[in-house]
Amino acid sequence: MLSVTESVGETVSTGVPTLDLHEIQATVLRQRPAPYFGTHVVLRINDPRAGRAFLRRLTPYVDSAAGWRIAANAWLAVAISYTGLEALGVPTESLQSFPEAFRVGMAARAAELHDEGVNDPTNWTPPFGTGQIHIGVSAFSDSEEKRRRALAIARDQYEGFSGVTVLSTQDFGAQPGDLNPLGYKDGIDQPAIEGSGEEPLPGQGPLIKAGEFILGYPGESGVPLPMPSPDILGRNGTYIGLRKYQTRVGAFNRFLRENGRTEEERELVAAKLVGRWRSGAPLTLAPNVDNPALGADPRRNNDFNYANDPHGRQVPFGSHIRRMNPRDTELSRLTDVNIHRLIRRGTTYGPPYDPNAVSEADDEVPHGAYFLFISAKAMATMEFLQREWVNDGNFIGAGDERDPIVGLQKQEATFTIPRDPVRRRIHGIDTFNVLRGGEYFFMPSLTALSWLGNLE
Amino acid sequence: MVTTATPTKVKGSGKSASAQQKIQELRDLYADAPELSRKALENVLQELTDQVAQTPPPPVESAGRAGSRLGKVSELTLIVPLAPGGAKRLRTFLRLLGGNLNGADKVGTVHDMRFVFLDNDTKLLFATAYDGDWDAYIDDFATRIPDYLDVLNAGWEGWPGIRSPEAKDYLAKHQVTAEGWYVANDLTVAETRRLKQIGKAVDELLDKIA
Repeated sequence: MLSVTESVGETVSTGVPTLDLHEIQATVLRQRPAPYFGTHVVLRINDPRAGRAFLRRLTPYVDSAAGWRIAANAWLAVAISYTGLEALGVPTESLQSFPEAFRVGMAARAAELHDEGVNDPTNWTPPFGTGQIHIGVSAFSDSEEKRRRALAIARDQYEGFSGVTVLSTQDFGAQPGDLNPLGYKDGIDQPAIEGSGEEPLPGQGPLIKAGEFILGYPGESGVPLPMPSPDILGRNGTYIGLRKYQTRVGAFNRFLRENGRTEEERELVAAKLVGRWRSGAPLTLAPNVDNPALGADPRRNNDFNYANDPHGRQVPFGSHIRRMNPRDTELSRLTDVNIHRLIRRGTTYGPPYDPNAVSEADDEVPHGAYFLFISAKAMATMEFLQREWVNDGNFIGAGDERDPIVGLQKQEATFTIPRDPVRRRIHGIDTFNVLRGGEYFFMPSLTALSWLGNLE
Repeated sequence: MVTTATPTKVKGSGKSASAQQKIQELRDLYADAPELSRKALENVLQELTDQVAQTPPPPVESAGRAGSRLGKVSELTLIVPLAPGGAKRLRTFLRLLGGNLNGADKVGTVHDMRFVFLDNDTKLLFATAYDGDWDAYIDDFATRIPDYLDVLNAGWEGWPGIRSPEAKDYLAKHQVTAEGWYVANDLTVAETRRLKQIGKAVDELLDKIA
């Protein structure tokens, strides 16, 4: 298999794809560019006929995953919520073929997602949780200019249409160094999908059956996952979930200051929380000091497992990356790590991370991430992750400790850093990312978009 | 500080009725019970009244789609119709293991399991106590130990196979939620194993310094 490295540092390969790339939307396989610029637009359909007319107009501009490795052009993605499918006039029989968690929407699944307390849907920002979010359109690009052009194309299709109303528009990206709201390089570890034509990056793990991520193909158990009907609607589609987080950067910085006396100590604590230094360099390969060159190199920054770290002394069991992908960690529960992975498209909004922001007012500055996740069973996977890997610690022998980055912390919560001879247990870890909204969408294939647009 | 309370999904509708009303309802229902049961109820009535009037015990919650959960531990009770020859298959398989399924150790969430044949081998009662929510790991079983599950369930009438998307519906259909559920130790299997290790290590340490 031949491979070359692009200027943006992404690996390109000539592996033969077996998926219908011309049908699958680009966002499913195309990585976020670096740097990235984009906009999420959320719309409501007021009238089924107008909603379908809008889809018919937009569909020619929605990009397929064919040539997904070329991230140089801007692209548009479109996804539709359950209430959106209803608003488009999708037949009842077809509506009922969607999984229950999708039909009721993310807010109604709060109990299953452990979205309680501050994360409870009653605390969400409109339009989230109102049931009015019908269609999400996202523009992704590698420059501000291209973002604007792509967005203008989308806008031309809905502006002046009384049948659709824009509920919110959110620009994202444009952080120096593409750091996330807490100042880390992110989005490094993605699942490798069989048949996408992608040669896995070193350390990306085994190829995972495409059916875990795209409907209509066999999954890891050998059979395709349940697919909505009719076939033309479901095939080559997938589900995309969105969770809007408000980052409490003041709380995060206060936590670092309380638990590290010097800059070096604070950065080590910050690295232990995530399992990577801010540069993206993994603690497994750079246990004592950051190595920005390592962090920047996609062929090296994910090339590790935990075989030599069985006690978590480099990467704590409870750290964010070890929870979200335990790799070869021996778990206390019979688990198939490959069936709990998500394609992740984190999109940061608001001002860049400021290490000197320590006030409670800083916690409320609009600043955070629209976390997008893609899977053929996105609802079930998010519920599993929220219950088992994010808001619990039993699977790694960490009692009821929670994920330090995206977990919802209880009072007196702790975070354990294994050390020799005695572990360090930090008390009073706070919730650093608060949920402000979320929704599930179906991301149809291009043919399915036409089918939807031409419903009678 | 942003925190959250432990979630509690209180089951049942007893919330509105006062303790007095509930006791009275119970007495009414026992009025036509055999005399020994009536007397027995009268004997414990005062204690029962006090118990109910005091702070209520931790609520039994739902384990998800079906079953009850108390703290970290949930119960699953299935009553499944057996196909002709099904009981014999399962019994022979269980006897091969001496009735002991310690291979389930690696599942890591299962506290216990029992297999009881009912009604002349036409039905199976399967009961287990396990950690967490109802369906969290069923997909994992389907990719990690599918054959063992399908061998165990070979006698179940209409079992679609663990890999089938219908497997969860089948289980939910035959599950009977326990009305009463008591858990002595609010510890997961993982926590129990860890405490055992710690206890052993402490004893070794004490042996050394004694």
